[in-house]
Amino acid sequence: MGSKYLIFLGCAIPYRVSAYEISARKVLSKLGVELVEMPEFNCCGLPLDPVSHEAMLILAARNLALAEQQGLNILTLCPGCAGTLKKVNKILKEDKTLREQINAHLKEAGLEFKGTVTTKHIMQALTEDIGLETIRKAITKPLTNLKVAEHNGCHILRPKEYIGFDNPEDPQTLKTLIEATSATCLDYIDETECCGAPSVGVSDKVALQLARDKLSHIKMVNAQALITICPFCHIMYDTNELRIEKMFNETYGIPVLHYPQLLGLAMGIPPEELAFNELRVDATKIVKQVTEGAKQE
Amino acid sequence: MSQPENVKKPEELRIGVFVCHCGLNIAGTVDIKQIVEYAKTIPDVVFVKENRYTCADPGQEEIRKAIREQKLNRVVVAACSPRMHEPTFRRTVTEAGLNPFLFEMANIREFASWCHPSNPQAATERAKDAVRMAVAKARLLMPLQTIEVPVTNKALIVGGGIAGMNAALDLAEMGFQVYMLENTQSIGGHMAALDKTFPTLDCSICIEGPKMVDCGRHPNIKIFANADLVRVDGYIGNFKVKIRQNPRYVIPDRCTGCGECKDVCPIEYPNEWDMNLGTRKAISVPFDQAVPLIYAVNKDYCIECFKCVDVCGARQAIDFEQKPEEVEIEVGAIIVSTGFDVYLPYDMPLLGYGKYPNVITSMEFERLILAAGPTGGKVIRQSDGKKPHTVAFIQCVGSRDKNKYPYCSNFCCMYTLKHVVQLKEKYKEDVEVYVFYMDIRSPGKGYEEFYDRARERGVNFIRGRVSRIDEDPKTHNLVVHSEDQTLGQPIEIEADMVVLATAAIPKKGSDEIARILNLSRGADGFFMESHPKLKPLDAPTDGVFYAGACQGLKDIPASVAQGSGAAARAATVISKPKWKIEPIISVIDESRCRNVTAKCGICVDKCPYGAIKAEPNKAAQVITASCHGCGTCVAECPQDAITQMHFTDAQILAQIRAALEKDPEDKILAILCNWCSYAGADLAGTSRFEYPPSVRAIRVMCSGRVDRDFILEAFRLGAGMVLVGACHLPYDCHYISGNYKMKARTDALKGMLTKLGMSPERFRVEYVSAAEGIHYAEVITEIDADMKALGKEKIKAENAKLRPIIENMLKRKK
Repeated sequence: MGSKYLIFLGCAIPYRVSAYEISARKVLSKLGVELVEMPEFNCCGLPLDPVSHEAMLILAARNLALAEQQGLNILTLCPGCAGTLKKVNKILKEDKTLREQINAHLKEAGLEFKGTVTTKHIMQALTEDIGLETIRKAITKPLTNLKVAEHNGCHILRPKEYIGFDNPEDPQTLKTLIEATSATCLDYIDETECCGAPSVGVSDKVALQLARDKLSHIKMVNAQALITICPFCHIMYDTNELRIEKMFNETYGIPVLHYPQLLGLAMGIPPEELAFNELRVDATKIVKQVTEGAKQE
Repeated sequence: MSQPENVKKPEELRIGVFVCHCGLNIAGTVDIKQIVEYAKTIPDVVFVKENRYTCADPGQEEIRKAIREQKLNRVVVAACSPRMHEPTFRRTVTEAGLNPFLFEMANIREFASWCHPSNPQAATERAKDAVRMAVAKARLLMPLQTIEVPVTNKALIVGGGIAGMNAALDLAEMGFQVYMLENTQSIGGHMAALDKTFPTLDCSICIEGPKMVDCGRHPNIKIFANADLVRVDGYIGNFKVKIRQNPRYVIPDRCTGCGECKDVCPIEYPNEWDMNLGTRKAISVPFDQAVPLIYAVNKDYCIECFKCVDVCGARQAIDFEQKPEEVEIEVGAIIVSTGFDVYLPYDMPLLGYGKYPNVITSMEFERLILAAGPTGGKVIRQSDGKKPHTVAFIQCVGSRDKNKYPYCSNFCCMYTLKHVVQLKEKYKEDVEVYVFYMDIRSPGKGYEEFYDRARERGVNFIRGRVSRIDEDPKTHNLVVHSEDQTLGQPIEIEADMVVLATAAIPKKGSDEIARILNLSRGADGFFMESHPKLKPLDAPTDGVFYAGACQGLKDIPASVAQGSGAAARAATVISKPKWKIEPIISVIDESRCRNVTAKCGICVDKCPYGAIKAEPNKAAQVITASCHGCGTCVAECPQDAITQMHFTDAQILAQIRAALEKDPEDKILAILCNWCSYAGADLAGTSRFEYPPSVRAIRVMCSGRVDRDFILEAFRLGAGMVLVGACHLPYDCHYISGNYKMKARTDALKGMLTKLGMSPERFRVEYVSAAEGIHYAEVITEIDADMKALGKEKIKAENAKLRPIIENMLKRKK
């Protein structure tokens, strides 16, 4: 309790999946976490890496240096942002020459990277800082009859040597967090496979095929919902689910929830406050099951 | 044994220096002419000669001739590492009538020409210094007599697998008494659990069984099965071994092996011998052919119904009161043949072992296809008991994997070929077989032909690394995701069963065996041999030898051959009535020993071998045959009352002074232990890793020998940097704990010197193994860079400040 972070939103969440941000802020505030705004943050740097590695390093280092000035650790919702900031922090801490080179650029803006703050994705903060015990205590409506599947995605786990969190070959954290709500987390084929998002723009067909394979495996085990923790994975499954259904002439009807939405439900936060209305795939059925069904049980 | 005191003023010194070209190995970089001319100018050197190959017969003859004609009484050879040819030249000088300990080597190949190839001038300077240092030591050398100890003409074999059994049988046939120690209930090892052997497909137990019986029946072999190695004391020729005989709750002499007890026993538990696929009774033998054929009760499972006791009746073989028993034996040589373990890939979740019932290991497959196995030779799926129609074999699970075991496990390709041939020949068209591999390694006799046989049987070989296995939750069939390098694309194969060829790994408990026998282990965890090429069967501890996979993974024919080889090596020791020990041991000067007047005994505490005794009011005594010659006591003695023969304070100080004669501020003085760091430095040379030529190295047997005074003297003389090289902590020290003693000593010294104003980086202790040539080169490069960064002026200033204090501390030294 009483944790305090600088919130780093990145690009995708505020513009495309605001439900993630809305639900996360609700849940975190209820768990006693204080989020400090930092409008000066720029892009995490990740999208620029293929164009200019140095520019990526500078962008990320600027964010880290700003946080260092505040003396606060960073919390992100997007695994891509977390991964980039973690990676750059580690690289620059270990490579003196590169650090001096990047700091020479930051100096123009009156900043210096020292490597004194850490970055955590919300999932890591929930397990490591806030703690499962606190989360369990905050649960007022256990999701006992809900059966869901999880999808971790890539950036939250890889590359292992930079992320240093969970096991990319057998990730357990999201499962544990889901089970903390008393929902059942189902195993399915291909759990650690890609959602397809990185291929969008290169070959939509490949991207949608990947997402479709996963959706069909999730359906195979009769999951009532899919839980994600990455804005891009969410877009892939939620925004594109109708498109996939049309393309492959199949129906899935699997609602895709941001983890804080699931947790929020279990914590008794009214569904309206968790932005369920922003989901493309209708989640009313399971929301109803939770809000009404729980009473019946 | 000779004492230093009885050497009074020796005759006039006549030192001969022989400079070796080693073809172009030395002469290609070092200017031999300069070395020769320089050597002539060194006082007491009366004869200098260069040879193309000093170690070859003509070169050795030159030495012998010069000793006779020039009346040389000390010989210095400037050539390769003493770790290479010191024994050779000691023999040479002995042949000419000189005591072998009046010989000294200057290492100008590994330590000059090979490690400074792009700087011939500096290499030549370093070689000159090496010659000067060797001559300085040679002046003070004293003749020593080799010590002889009696030999117990018996051997101990630790581990009764196929390698150990062959070693035991060979030694027993030579007429020696052999003890076999086996920690499981039967000898036989992994081979006894196999179905068939490649490439001949002969039945494993049919060929091994008779050998096991031979071991059990041989009058010269005594087997301690179900027993552990507790402790080993002593030394080559004279080991005292303590063995713990664990209780079987069955009296061996009374058990007839009839098995009536097993028949009435109501309890079954998973049989490890069957990879836990089958069961055995709470009173049983692990398998029918077990040797010794003595039943054992597993008390973890036994319900003490005593039906077995009733049926055993008058034979009275069962004794529930049995306790562990300690047995002491004496042997002259020990063969370690502890074998290997099989890796169970529970921690590779993408392959699903332990999660998907139809993913099994090769060892489990072995038990399934074995006619005497738990399924009677039927290959069936764990999920539904049905026969699989598609089986995928996956190679290199854990092996050749940087994240797990980087080495190749040697025999997995061949046993998988055996498995696929067996499957194909047993089920013909009824089974489709895939093998996913990186490389098929089949270099043995008849092995490639066996690979052909598998291909001719229609096995599908797919070159590619498997990334993941998924299970269809309904059918429990498996989808193998892999790359197919030939197609250049990812593929998926659906299989009914997947067999993982998992890595073979060092035997559990190897660390304990290593500690008890004072062995070292390589980075891969297998035991390190004394020399990878020339002494592949010898452990670093004299009198201990290796056989089989414990030294490095090998298949059955190689293990058998090595078992016989180890037997021959052990016989070289135990066939002799006496064993010669190098006399480089510690000698106590009774007149200086403090224990006479006060309670001291520091040497007793510090000796890693318990080789010193100190009775009250008497001078401490070294037990000559127990002394391994590390010199730790010498460095620890507060009275300087102990001398290590051939590595005396005077000799080492003379080397230090010779090393720092010129421009000491630009020099790194390195004192290296013989077994690890000196060997590592040699390897840097052998590997041609180039590093700065500012280092001057002195060899001691153990870093424990490094006296505080050596370091103080070096700084008093103005040394730029000082390095002490040792074996890695915690277990690598070849004298058990000499490196720890050195660490305690140097930590304190470093603290003091730093407090006195010396830059801490100027005195370094580094742990370099014999395999870490690159590390040695990096360390020297770093120290050199630190030295340059500090600058000569700063070093000089620090030294000037330190000198009076050090001089005061060294007053007691002459």
